[in-house]
Amino acid sequence: MFFKVQGMVCWVIKKAVSCYIESAYKTGGNLRNLKGDEVQMYKGKILTAGLALVLAAALGGCGNGSNSSDSASNSPAAKGNSASGSEDTSAVTFKYFSFGAPKKQILGSETTIGKELQTQTGVDWNIEYLVGDGDTKAGVMIASGDYPDIIDSSGQMAKLMDAGAFIPLDDLIEKYGPNIKRVYGPYFDKFRQKDGKIYFFPYGANIGYVSEPNFQTGFYIQRSVLKEFNYPKITTLDEYFDLIKQYKEKHPQVDGKDTIGFATFAGEQGSFFTLQNPAMHLAGYPNDGSTMVDMKTHEAKLVAGSEYQKRWIGKLNEANAEGLVDPESFTMNRDQYLAKLTSGRVLGYFSYSWQVGDATNNLKKAGNDDKRYVALPIVFDKGIKDQYIDPPGFVNNYGVGITVKAKDPVRIIKYFDNLLKEENQILVQWGIKDQSYTVDEKGRFTYANDEQRQIHEDPEKSMKFGFDYFNYSWPRYGNNSVLQDGNAYGPGNQPEVASYGYTDGDKQLLAAYGVKTFSGLFSNPDERPWSPAWSIALEQGSPEQMFITKADDLQRTHLPTMILDTPANFSKNWDDYMNQFNKLDKKTYEDFITKAVQDRVAGKW
Amino acid sequence: MEKPVYSVNSDPQVKSPGMNKTNLFFSRLIQQRTLAFMCLPFVIWAFVFKYLPIWGWTMAFQNYKPARSFSEQEWAGLKHFRILFEDSTFYRVLRNTLVMSTIQLILGFVTAITLALLLNELKNIIFKRVVQTVSYLPHFISWVVASSIVLTVLSPDGIINLLLTKLHLLDKPELWMGKGNYFWGILAGTQVWKDVGWNTIIYLAAITSIDPSQYEAAEIDGASRFQRMLNITLPGLKPVIIILLIMNLGNILESGFEPQYLLGNGMNLEYSENLDIFVLKYGLGMGSFSLGTAAGIFKTVVSFIFLFSANHIAKRMGESRLF
Amino acid sequence: MQASKTSRLRNSSPGDRVFDICNVIFMVCLMIVTMYPFVNMIAVSFNDANDAVRGGIYLWPRMWTLNNYKYIFGESDIYHATLISLLRTVTGTAVSVFCTAMLAFTVSRQEFVLRKFVTLFFVITMYFSGGLIPGYLLIRNLGLTDSFWVYIVPGVIGVFNMIIIRSFIEGLPEGILESARIDGAGEFTTFIRVVLPLTIPAMATVSLFVAVGQWNSWFDVFLYNSSNINLSTLQYELMKILQTTNTSATAGAVEAYQSAENAVRVTPTSLRATMTIIASVPILMVYPFLQRYFVQGMTVGGVKG
Repeated sequence: MFFKVQGMVCWVIKKAVSCYIESAYKTGGNLRNLKGDEVQMYKGKILTAGLALVLAAALGGCGNGSNSSDSASNSPAAKGNSASGSEDTSAVTFKYFSFGAPKKQILGSETTIGKELQTQTGVDWNIEYLVGDGDTKAGVMIASGDYPDIIDSSGQMAKLMDAGAFIPLDDLIEKYGPNIKRVYGPYFDKFRQKDGKIYFFPYGANIGYVSEPNFQTGFYIQRSVLKEFNYPKITTLDEYFDLIKQYKEKHPQVDGKDTIGFATFAGEQGSFFTLQNPAMHLAGYPNDGSTMVDMKTHEAKLVAGSEYQKRWIGKLNEANAEGLVDPESFTMNRDQYLAKLTSGRVLGYFSYSWQVGDATNNLKKAGNDDKRYVALPIVFDKGIKDQYIDPPGFVNNYGVGITVKAKDPVRIIKYFDNLLKEENQILVQWGIKDQSYTVDEKGRFTYANDEQRQIHEDPEKSMKFGFDYFNYSWPRYGNNSVLQDGNAYGPGNQPEVASYGYTDGDKQLLAAYGVKTFSGLFSNPDERPWSPAWSIALEQGSPEQMFITKADDLQRTHLPTMILDTPANFSKNWDDYMNQFNKLDKKTYEDFITKAVQDRVAGKW
Repeated sequence: MEKPVYSVNSDPQVKSPGMNKTNLFFSRLIQQRTLAFMCLPFVIWAFVFKYLPIWGWTMAFQNYKPARSFSEQEWAGLKHFRILFEDSTFYRVLRNTLVMSTIQLILGFVTAITLALLLNELKNIIFKRVVQTVSYLPHFISWVVASSIVLTVLSPDGIINLLLTKLHLLDKPELWMGKGNYFWGILAGTQVWKDVGWNTIIYLAAITSIDPSQYEAAEIDGASRFQRMLNITLPGLKPVIIILLIMNLGNILESGFEPQYLLGNGMNLEYSENLDIFVLKYGLGMGSFSLGTAAGIFKTVVSFIFLFSANHIAKRMGESRLF
Repeated sequence: MQASKTSRLRNSSPGDRVFDICNVIFMVCLMIVTMYPFVNMIAVSFNDANDAVRGGIYLWPRMWTLNNYKYIFGESDIYHATLISLLRTVTGTAVSVFCTAMLAFTVSRQEFVLRKFVTLFFVITMYFSGGLIPGYLLIRNLGLTDSFWVYIVPGVIGVFNMIIIRSFIEGLPEGILESARIDGAGEFTTFIRVVLPLTIPAMATVSLFVAVGQWNSWFDVFLYNSSNINLSTLQYELMKILQTTNTSATAGAVEAYQSAENAVRVTPTSLRATMTIIASVPILMVYPFLQRYFVQGMTVGGVKG
């Protein structure tokens, strides 16, 4: 109703302005017949009219405005039956909007991969990425209904689904999607929506399983520390801090500045989990968000306020008293953190690998292997099986879908199906044989030379070839998939490729620990059919959301202070924290997550 | 500077007692039609661009979802206001907001006016221009960059700690950003540093409109530099100062978002978190529209109270006022 | 200028001289503090990106390079975007300042019967907003999306600026407007011929505010014109470049074991510095040009005579 009023007012304004201008022109024409006061008066009018002209010129845009996607006639049903005959490969360009990580706006056919796919299907894509805030963009897109043909939702899926932005795909898949069924078939139940229909394709449908060879995350330690003590095998948190302490005593200064024992990155807003999560990893759980889920009972227990947390924070408190913890861990921003890690002063730190990419690159480029770090599978006690590597999971809350404004859903679903053919999946990951990869005599895919490797790894070349645009946010095999011939789906997971860039230091270190790849240091992940629990969505204003927001704040304010205080006060501080924590409605949250986990285990995603 | 304000009734032209107010109004309006025409397009503009979108306030009372038409929206009553006002942290957040914007208001005014007065006393025109240009440079630095600089300067091995320990004012480096009670001071300092130059522009412009003959007269009377500053320049700035003050009082709940967000951390959370951050934190997904609107309405109400009171006080004190 | 020259001749009491010296010293300190971030940005922008991750760059680059600039200027889209930025800054400022001044003139007239209503009608708009979505739908319904005019029309009046100009006009000596009217000038002529020239310092100030706002704004591009590259502005393109690198930084983990020579050539930190310089230098050049109108000072009396 209000939309209508606004629309009407807009119409009235357009009319009024045009009248205004007309009259202004008229008075302008008669100006020479007027005299004195009248001239003054009309001059005023003309001026206002001139201003109105500015307004009007702008409003004139109304006619040729932006309604490029003509809506009404586009119901999928209307188009559905038109194209069942012979393959239609006439040239057409669709619009693709991605809420994911931004890249340069491009026409798919400008890339090698996009061009090849266009040759096969006749379909080209105008690919646009979100620049700026996703919530804002999604809000206005939904409110106006101006959707492109397909959308890669990233974090905006809930909103888009709720808005009915996507069309159900079941019939289309049934009719045109043999490859879709082959790839996604086993997973359909995991991403059917509440009405039992499929609306979008997530990106994690693994076919077979191969793990990532160079997995690194968790408790990093400087390699010089390991070298100094002749590569000891350390598994527990106590051993970890012990080693750091010994090294720091031997080398109190680095390049004239004090050595820093241990740092982490828990200051910046939204990075607090870096202080919260170690407790669950140390206890042998993978990253399941704020909770740890029991393998047998599937009960979710909060990390916050647990004995594990007490032990972890207590250890940091102890280490801080020995001068091992950098207090800036709780105040610095990303730039400062990375600067510290590259300074060579820090002996150990906890981070997820994606938080420290720039520093890792920098150190590798600097060429001093001793100053680089390696992450080790540290746990509380010997005998706990580390679970740093994420279990094979299925992330079902984002993906790519066809919108209600799509001009030709049939062409699109056929394009998707064609894309899922094994040869095209090889195309989007490995590229073109002998151009961007080689098959050796044993049938293994690898890079024959630097030139081929560059096509994948050099940002510019990779963009030009199209990997950046086509290897992820489309219907695809999951990252850990294995091709029919036994090669890894993703080049990064092919051991031959992974070990290509190892330095002498890397090789020495791996040899010392008797493993072939960095992942070899870690235990394999156990099967957790609910994984990852962090993808369980909370509703705005719900008690669960209220609880977790408050619980996070409580941790953010209390834990750092507790760590930096003297150990004598620790138990008092902890009790104080627990007192406040227990006032919150912890049970509702745990029950909610437990229920969601149990539903997932039962196959209800 | 003040002019008499003509009210309709006191207008000397009005003689005929039989004429009622409405007629009088219209007859005067017709007389002043050029003026009326000069502002009419803009009144329409404001109506369209500023007033029409207020229908959006209904969102505060709904669980607003952009895809639904107005009649399909789910009404939520005062739910979103309750999330705001019933939350135990809301009052702390409100306190932070008020304190931070008050400090910003006072400090912003005092520093900018002082700097403008001092700049005005510089005798070398070239130097004066250079200082002014340089002093407003930080305004063009984004908060992301500015906050990084602040964090570096205040870090345990930053320059401030280095100086203070060298001077033996501190035994060991202080973790400035980790102490909540320093936060307001740090923030205020940063804001002054970033915007003081920019804020002087308006006062420098206002100083130009002060009649130079006043200075000459004062000089003949033997007034010192300081006296001239206090008795001529400052009073000359008064109307601008008061108008700006009234306008800024209306923004008392706008304490900014970026600096608090970027400089804030868990350890100073109790002092750094303001209303905007609170709304961001609790407004998940779709809820952000409704909760944000509710907070917006609350802000508007408070703004109006401050705005009208300040204007009224200015009027009572016979100062220049906003409307 | 005249005034300050004479005062230098006449006043040379010791107290004055101490004051002057202190003042100059204070100004120099102020300049050092306010200059620093810019000098730092310049240093970082000319420093190797990968090396800059180590931090510790203050006044001078450690590993000199032009790569950051090459990277940004290598994006072909930014040239057209710069043109659009210039165009919107010039047009937007001219339109907004003229319209705002005209409105300010009408509400500065004490005898104007609609004065209070119009002032209040505008002033309160500073303190409320219908919110993002209603605003967007309005612009869309008016057909302003995907058009250049969306940069101009919604900003026709700046209320804050209107108040500034109004208080300047009110501060004009009373006789001036009267004498214009006695000369038989209509309201509009008075505005153009008398008021505009007399309020140049205010106009310069307001122009600066509007121009800086226009030059720096990117949110309207993001909201209304994001898919039309022909209407993109410099700030928005720079944002795009920055966000694209941000991604590769987080994806960096995957690349960590790639060969060293492929390590990212630009980082968000170095790009942000370079962007700051590229985006702010043009607008900074506007300032000295406008500055003479309010630093040097214009004497109202002088114009009068």
